[in-house]
Amino acid sequence: VLGDDRFWPSLLRTGIWTFVSVAGEYALGLISAIALAQPIPGRTIFRALIIIPWVIPIVVAGLTWTWMLTPDYGVINLWLIKVGLLSKPYYWLGNLDSALLTVSFVNIWRSFPFYTLSLLAALMAVPRDILESAAMDGAGAFRRFIYITMPHLRAVSLTLILIHVIWTAINFDFIWVMTQGGPLNSSETLPIMIYRFSFEDFDVGAASALAMMMMGLMLATFFIYWYGAARPSDEDAAW
Amino acid sequence: MVKSGFDRALRTGATYATLCVLAAFCVFPFLWMLDTALKPAGEVRSVNPTFWIATPTLENFRHVISDANFLLYFRNSVVVAGGSTLLALTVSVFCGYALSRFPRQPLSRAVGGALLLSQMIPSVLLLAPLYILMRNLGLLSTFRALILVYCTFSIPLCCFMLKSFFDTIPLELEDAAEMDGCSRPKFIYRILLPLSAPGILATGLFCFVTAWNEFLFGYVLINNDARRPLTPAIMVFKGPHLTDWGALMAASVLAVVPVALFFVYLQRFLVDGLTTGAVKG
Repeated sequence: VLGDDRFWPSLLRTGIWTFVSVAGEYALGLISAIALAQPIPGRTIFRALIIIPWVIPIVVAGLTWTWMLTPDYGVINLWLIKVGLLSKPYYWLGNLDSALLTVSFVNIWRSFPFYTLSLLAALMAVPRDILESAAMDGAGAFRRFIYITMPHLRAVSLTLILIHVIWTAINFDFIWVMTQGGPLNSSETLPIMIYRFSFEDFDVGAASALAMMMMGLMLATFFIYWYGAARPSDEDAAW
Repeated sequence: MVKSGFDRALRTGATYATLCVLAAFCVFPFLWMLDTALKPAGEVRSVNPTFWIATPTLENFRHVISDANFLLYFRNSVVVAGGSTLLALTVSVFCGYALSRFPRQPLSRAVGGALLLSQMIPSVLLLAPLYILMRNLGLLSTFRALILVYCTFSIPLCCFMLKSFFDTIPLELEDAAEMDGCSRPKFIYRILLPLSAPGILATGLFCFVTAWNEFLFGYVLINNDARRPLTPAIMVFKGPHLTDWGALMAASVLAVVPVALFFVYLQRFLVDGLTTGAVKG
């Protein structure tokens, strides 16, 4: 498998796909959680609306976006042209440069509500009195956020990111539904490769070898997290 | 905190603006799916798409249900998701009980660890082994295969969810019941289950939704069209080249409806569950 010239590009793409997705999901999740934590009327409605993508089956989400992104009749292209951002329809899923990123974008769309819920729960648990005393001491909203809120979110964030790095790296459905790894393998990640090995080449040995390597990668991630998470808790104890 | 009126107004405005943008981002594809499903073919392929439907029609739904047999796929999904939910719940009630009541026993620690580990094994990795296993058992293209496979990932999840629900039921209740001569199985069945009914329902629904949304195994393990669950059926229905988007979106709506209904009920448990988890640390 290592000698296969599709392996390294595929590994690299898995990395890009995972990194872009998780970073985007975390950023959106954090923004939406902060917005939802503000005491304003109507936030339960917004909360319900924001969770919607997470409930929709991946296949349905993937196909709906594929439909919206089709070059000839897709809404997104036609509206972007109307607004003047594009001069002609762009085949988002059919271009070598954009296919993987487009699928990542859709993955972000579907997964970030989970971050919102978890981060929101953690935000609600940040003690108000610390925030207030900091405000009293003259810390601005931004500094309060960096020095008080963020450290409180650290444990939740680490766990979220770890789980999602694993879930994203192994995700097969999205890529398969939207591009099937194409065009020209430009969105082929390791899970897609495993699938191709076992059900198109019928080379179960290679598929299993690849699967074991992925498993190793996952375990490595897990241990990095383990040691990464152990340290902050020591600091917390000292503090 | 003391704030000037202007500051507060600015902040509220910014919050609403962010929320509105995000909500639109989240809801738009969903609405567009509904919208497309209700459009006649001519309007679906318009170069000037709008939300406005000149002549709304149920033609797409009719086509999907009567010509493409989506009711059958729908039923298959119900059978598979329901079956795996029942099986997973039955196993997990006992497992969750043991995990909750004897957390320090070496055996339950080992089982808990194994369950946690199994959560981390990605399903794609199990694809080839499970396929071969099912072939050797002669279960390919049967509902039983899917039910068993779905249980591999729903049982760990259910065990942990149920464990945390059982944890909230005080030990004193169990002592009191035992004092009155109630055996353990009887306690589970007479006291524990009724008390944690909402939790069990939530776990079951969660499990059902996970199985309902699952795509990969349904796609690979079922080759018989009559047994195909809904999500792979949608993918197969798409076809390689020419796609009838109106009908496809109608099928998608069918797939989303039950999930959406369950979710209305589930939502409060999701938020509660995550919150209690966060507080307990």
